[in-house]
Amino acid sequence: MKLSRLSTEELAAVVCDALERHGFTAVLTGGGCVMIYAEGKYVSKDLDFVLVPQDRLKEVEVALAELGFRAEGRVYVHPEVDMAVDVGNRWPLAVGQEILKPPPRRRVSGYYLRMLSATDCVKDRLAAFYHWDDRQALEQAILVCLAQRVNMREVGRWSRAEGQEAGFAEFRRELSRRRRAARRSG
Amino acid sequence: MTNDGSLRRSALLRPLFGSSLKEWLLLCLLTRGEAYPSELAKELGFALLAVQKQLAALEDGGVVYSRMRGRTRLYSLNPRYPFRRELEALLRRALEALPAEERERLYVPRLRPRKPGKPLAR
Repeated sequence: MKLSRLSTEELAAVVCDALERHGFTAVLTGGGCVMIYAEGKYVSKDLDFVLVPQDRLKEVEVALAELGFRAEGRVYVHPEVDMAVDVGNRWPLAVGQEILKPPPRRRVSGYYLRMLSATDCVKDRLAAFYHWDDRQALEQAILVCLAQRVNMREVGRWSRAEGQEAGFAEFRRELSRRRRAARRSG
Repeated sequence: MTNDGSLRRSALLRPLFGSSLKEWLLLCLLTRGEAYPSELAKELGFALLAVQKQLAALEDGGVVYSRMRGRTRLYSLNPRYPFRRELEALLRRALEALPAEERERLYVPRLRPRKPGKPLAR
């Protein structure tokens, strides 16, 4: 299999499937999710997985080595692939203070992929915007909303639980502005 | 101060955290909001290398996060840590239980003299 010919989603599925076959529960989060949901409007350099169990790094190495990845610092790189795999994100799977259940797996070109839903992906990005003042993360949340169906009521509920009414209002204003601009440009 | 001149540090959460350094770093970040490693090492009376290693481990676990201000790395409790509220509640309880003198040390950073030779002001 030529990994360099795969789409981001397929590559994520191949990696996720390999990790799960080795007994891990692996969930794609972060910029990799944004890249898939934003349908090419955003480019990430990493596939970030939240992994459980976390104390079996040797087995992660074995699983990824079977695909041709090797450890480099805290990530895994492949000679033919631009994206690095990062499994350094800690369980539990959470967006801000809210702990999530692992999402169900779905088939992508014959491989199993487990990734945040579009709504949780938006929350994940907004958590970085709200708590770390990361404006790039706000942009990522907007790109996902422009391309996918997102449960805005749920995002609002979660934002309030995080104590972020003002941040949510700013996100909604920016999203509305971008939607108007997108409609004008046809 | 103890009789041998070292700083007195109660270790209320050491049975949980396994380290009084970790406990004091977290307490200090809770009370000050943010701090840099050399400040923490000096104020709390720990070796800088030990402080840096512990902060790196806490950051790796998502408990704290850091950002650069100029050439200084500032650490804070990570607001995205899923157990932040529970951790802060626990630390606040421990803070209440500390002797006043130790608690004060967590809140008040020692001020530097404005000119060489001036005494330290508190």
